[in-house]
This record gives sequence, C-alpha cells and structure tokens, in this order.
Amino acid sequence: MKKMREVFVAGVGITKFDIYDGQKGRPLKEFYDLGSEAILRALKDAGMEWKDIQEAFCASVYCGTAAGHQTIEKIGMTGIPIVNIENACSSGSSAFRLAYQAIAAELYDVVIAVGFETSPRGFIKSTSWPEWQRKMGFNVQPAAYAMATVRYMQETGATEEDFARVTVKNRQNGTLNPNARFQKPVTLEEVLASRMVAKPLRLLHACPLADGGIAVILCSRGKLKSKTHTVTVAASILTSGTYGHVHGGGSVKIHTPHTIDVSMKQAWEMSGYGPKDMDVVQAYDTMAPGELWDLEKMGFCEKGEAPRLLREGYFDLSGKLPVNTDGGLMSRGHPLGATALAQIVEIYRQIRGEAGARQVPGAKIGLAHAMGAGPNSSIAILER
Amino acid sequence: MNDGKKKIPVREGLWTTPAARDEKPQLIGSRCNKCGEVFFPKKDLSICSNCQSTNLDDITLSSKGKIYSYSVVMQRPPEYYKGDVPYAIGFVELPEGVRIETLFTGCNAEDLKIGMDVEMVIEKLQEDEAGNEILAYKFKPCQI
Repeated sequence: MKKMREVFVAGVGITKFDIYDGQKGRPLKEFYDLGSEAILRALKDAGMEWKDIQEAFCASVYCGTAAGHQTIEKIGMTGIPIVNIENACSSGSSAFRLAYQAIAAELYDVVIAVGFETSPRGFIKSTSWPEWQRKMGFNVQPAAYAMATVRYMQETGATEEDFARVTVKNRQNGTLNPNARFQKPVTLEEVLASRMVAKPLRLLHACPLADGGIAVILCSRGKLKSKTHTVTVAASILTSGTYGHVHGGGSVKIHTPHTIDVSMKQAWEMSGYGPKDMDVVQAYDTMAPGELWDLEKMGFCEKGEAPRLLREGYFDLSGKLPVNTDGGLMSRGHPLGATALAQIVEIYRQIRGEAGARQVPGAKIGLAHAMGAGPNSSIAILER
Repeated sequence: MNDGKKKIPVREGLWTTPAARDEKPQLIGSRCNKCGEVFFPKKDLSICSNCQSTNLDDITLSSKGKIYSYSVVMQRPPEYYKGDVPYAIGFVELPEGVRIETLFTGCNAEDLKIGMDVEMVIEKLQEDEAGNEILAYKFKPCQI
C-alpha cells in the first residue's frame, strides 16, 4: 500500500457498555444518546470543538437508516459529510479506516469515527443467511463457531477447559475496567457448568451483548492540540473474505490464504512491524476459542500452541503478551457497531499509559483485530 | 382442487425428483469446467466463485460422504426453524470435493464423529402454516 500522510489519534470517548433498556432500574438510553455522549467525551479528550470536525463516519448494525445523522443532530448539524456504516462486527473499525483514509489522502485534517448500538431486545434477525438456510436452522452464530471449534480440537488437541480459560482470563481483566458490562470474575468451574449453547460451546464461552457508544477523533499532525504522548496509526486494514473459507466449512480443493492471513500480511507491510514488536493485543473473542485461533492465525504463536501459552500465563495482564487487557468482548460486552472501535480505544489508552489498574507497563505499540460476518477481518496498529 | 397436504422442498432445485419409484433423489450441484471447483447448491448465476469462469455444468452429487465437522444446537434459533431442539448440524464432505452444511438425522448426537460415513435422505423438516410438509435434505449414519 502507498505510503501517505501520517495520521494521529487526537482523542477518544467511550460510554459504559451496559443494557440501557429502562428495565429493573437501568436507565433508558437510545443509540443516539450513547453516540453523542461518546462524541462529547472524545472532543474533550482531544481538546477540540465540534466545529473542528470535517467529516463523520458512523458505525452501527441494528440502528436503522441515517443513525449517524440522528446521533450528530443531537450535537449540531454543520454541513459536514456524515456517512453511515454497517459492516457487521467490523463496522467500527471500518469507520476508523475510512477516517484514516480521508486524512492520509489529505482530503480532510480532522475526522471522527463513531460507533454505537442499542442491541435489539429479544430475537435478532440473522439476515446474513439465505431464508432456506434459516429454515434449516443454520443461522446460529455459536453453532458456526462450534463447528470450527470441533475441527480445532481435532487438529490441535485443545479442550473445553482451554476455551474456558480464555473466559476466565478476560473476565479477570474486566474486573479492572470500569466501562465493562461485566466486572465480576468467573471461575473455570462456573464456565464449564454453564448451560450448553452449541456443543461443545457453553453460555460463558460466548460474549454478552451490550449497548454502548464510542468515538475516536483522527487528525493530521498540524491539528493536534497537544504534542505530548502522541499516538499515530501505524496500520489500518480491512480485508473482506477470500474464496474457499466458510465458518466451520469451506472448499475442499481450493486453498487460498485466509482472510486473517491477508489482513495481517498487509498490516505488517504497512506498519513495518511484526508480531514480536507488539506490546499489547486486542484479539477477537466473540466466542472463547476464537481468541486462541485468532492469536495463532495472526502469527503470535504456532498453530495449536495458544492453549498451552494461555495455561502458562503468556497472555495474562502480567504475561509476555497481554491479550484483551480491558476484558475483551467477553467482559466489555458486544455492541456490534461499537465493538471494533472499543478495541482500538483500549490500545490507545494502553500506549498512552492511561489504562489505570490494567496498565501494561511501558506499552508502546499495540494491535486490535476484529472479525465480522461477511467475513471481515480488520486490523489497527497504533504506536506512540 | 386437491385439499390434501402438499410436500414442498425447503428450496427448489436442491435435489432431483426421480420419475421411477426405485430411484433415490440426489443433491444437485454445479461444477466449473475450468478449475474443477464444485458448488452446492448449484449456482443460479452461472459464474464460478473461485475463477469466475462462466463454463459451468449442473451435476448430481454422491449421496454418501464423511462428516467434516458437527455441532449440537441446544437452543431454538431466532426464526424460521420449527423442528426439534436440540438438533445436530454439521458439514459433510462428498467425493466430488464439496463440503456442504446439513442437518443430521437418525442418530444420537453423542455418536457423531469427524470422518463418520453418512448418507443423504430427504425428510420432513417442519410444517408450514397451511399444514404442508416442508422437506429438507439431511444426512444419517450409513447402515453397517
């Protein structure tokens, strides 16, 4: 990819991830409330005013038409272009990448990426499967992961207990994140005793849904209000699918590089870094085993090695490569349109030394990876 | 008008309907004559998703294959599916070199294993609002 103008993260804003449905004493908030709150916090963090923003990319999955416009209308319409993005669980990182592109290409100097979601109550319409497959009962996301998990177990010898350890680690990290939906730890026994959802995956192998808002302001060097602790975008990549790979299945004869392989190769090329340079990683833990094979596919260890490294504490907060330091999707919760931006915000906080009790000492470079239906594989590498 | 209940496939064109009583239905796929890739269901749009060749033929697929992976779904899917819960689903690899997603039938979920020999059957999936039988292809363990 062509080398372009340097892009900085000027500031971030995040709401607590929770359920804002007005039930059982919980506050009632709509996606535009959460999105606009996050924008105001990001402006404050960046030391900027709303009139500084020249373009807005707004990510959500279930919020309907012109959700970004409804959000920004709360703050004030200023004639800037507002673009709404639905790219499944990579929506937030897709907004981030578009904001990055606009500044790198010198189209604008200050652009905001916003992600928000009030997850639908009750049944979620799974429109990414054709109708006949929904009638056949294929439209169960945990089952798609379960089929991939059964293969992974056969090929690597990984066990249900290994997957439970992912949940235990991430929920432990989540206890140190005041923005996480779940801030209580769970034990290995609790995970393994939780209800089976799709064999061999249980309820506590799955991340919970959540509502939340998040905003990230990107800018050129000249627009930074503060020149200390600056954070640059070393890579921002989106790869949408390669032929022959279906969740849990795929082509027998055609072996193309996996979507994650392609996006990682591009991210290392763009940044000039490799796996050994990363101080902190946000991997994609929508289902617990996914974090393990994600780390392997990204090249942080060999295939089948992640369960052992996890057992040895390698991915712990105090380990050699801390993974999902804010608790990941597992603790934070998963507001679909906001999730991938939340991963990026955690990297930003870590490399600025602002991560509080969960700070990884001396973290300078970090990577966030999100997947998404489609499929999508999106990567951001930030450095200070 | 025949007021009897009809049998309706979950989707047209997934399998053949033999004229003779002693012939079994077969799944219908497409094969690319350039790269050899096989697709199921057959491609409605005549272009190979691997090499983009437009030289494709419809083929019938073997009824016997091996389990590539599986899962047992323990909760009701959000919509459309009206069959029993729990239910077993998975991928079956056919000799033509295509891996297809399927429901399993005629077995205990605990017995499913990677590599197990299975064969295709057409079975009732569920009933629609009018009481018609919706049919689907499923795979069951081969008789030994």
